[in-house]
Amino acid sequence: MNTGGLILIVGSLAAAAAAFIWLAFKIQNGPPAKGRKELIADAAAEDVEHIFNDDFREELRNRGRLHFEKVINDNAVFLQQDLRNTTTQLNEYMRSEITRTLQEEFKKYEQSINDAKQLAMESIQKTVATIEQQRQFLEQQIKAQSTAQEERIVARFEAEMAGIFNHYIVKAIGNQIDLSDQLDFILGELEANKQAILEDIKHGAS
Amino acid sequence: MAPLKLTPDIVSQADLTRLNRELDSLDDFFVSAKARPAGSPIAPPKLSRALEALAKENAVNLLDEKNRQTLADQLAAVYKEAPNFHISFAVEASPKSLERILVWMRQSVHPQLLLQVGLQPTIAAGCVLRTTNKVFDMSLRARLNSQTEYLAALIKESVDGR
Repeated sequence: MNTGGLILIVGSLAAAAAAFIWLAFKIQNGPPAKGRKELIADAAAEDVEHIFNDDFREELRNRGRLHFEKVINDNAVFLQQDLRNTTTQLNEYMRSEITRTLQEEFKKYEQSINDAKQLAMESIQKTVATIEQQRQFLEQQIKAQSTAQEERIVARFEAEMAGIFNHYIVKAIGNQIDLSDQLDFILGELEANKQAILEDIKHGAS
Repeated sequence: MAPLKLTPDIVSQADLTRLNRELDSLDDFFVSAKARPAGSPIAPPKLSRALEALAKENAVNLLDEKNRQTLADQLAAVYKEAPNFHISFAVEASPKSLERILVWMRQSVHPQLLLQVGLQPTIAAGCVLRTTNKVFDMSLRARLNSQTEYLAALIKESVDGR
């Protein structure tokens, strides 16, 4: 409400009061054709009708409407600001809550992933250790088997070697060496075994 | 009575048996000669070189019955009592080679020793002698068998040095 309006309203009220006072004073000094109270009431009603006529009422109604609209508009602005503030706060709150919740969930998720990762790592480590043990065991077994096989082959070769050479010699020379060529060898061997042969004869048949 | 000297022609008990058969046939000849009328032609049995050599070596008169009987008895005794070895060679033994071996054995081991000769090609060379209780493997095969370590060392050197 502006100052002009306020002055107008105050001026109107002051004029009404002055008119009321004048009327009261005149009634007190005039002839009491009617009753005094009745005259005052009639004058007041006439002044009221005179002061608060339709235009004035319409003016007051318009002013009240404007004032109400202004109040409504002001409150709407305040309400809008509050709503904005509330929305902003709500957004902030929602954001922070969502962020907090998401962070907690992410933490839980991360923890779960870490646990799963740890479990997987432990499992892999155990598997690797087991595989390593198996590998070492297999390696030892293969080495042992290889060594045993090698020893068997060498032993068999050594056992059969003389036979192989002998077979080769028999195949290679066969009957080419006459007994006369072997006589020196045979007589030498007989001479070397002479004592044993004599001992055998001495003991006779067993 | 001096022991019977065996000649190198007599190698095995089979030879003794053959000589005994010859002596028997000689006895039969003389018995049949006595039974024939005088002047009838007869052909004396042909003696083997081994019997002749044996008779000569031991100064035995084969015309004399007692001498023949003594020789037969001595041969039977040798057959029964003399050591009889079995010897195997990788190849067929020539008479000359066998004689040298036999002479060595009769000089070194026993004067009336007899040999039974066999053939064993797998021994490659040398001989295998089986006496009364033992077997003396004097073959190249046995020699190679006894040298397996040396052979193995040679092969190992060859393999390592490749």
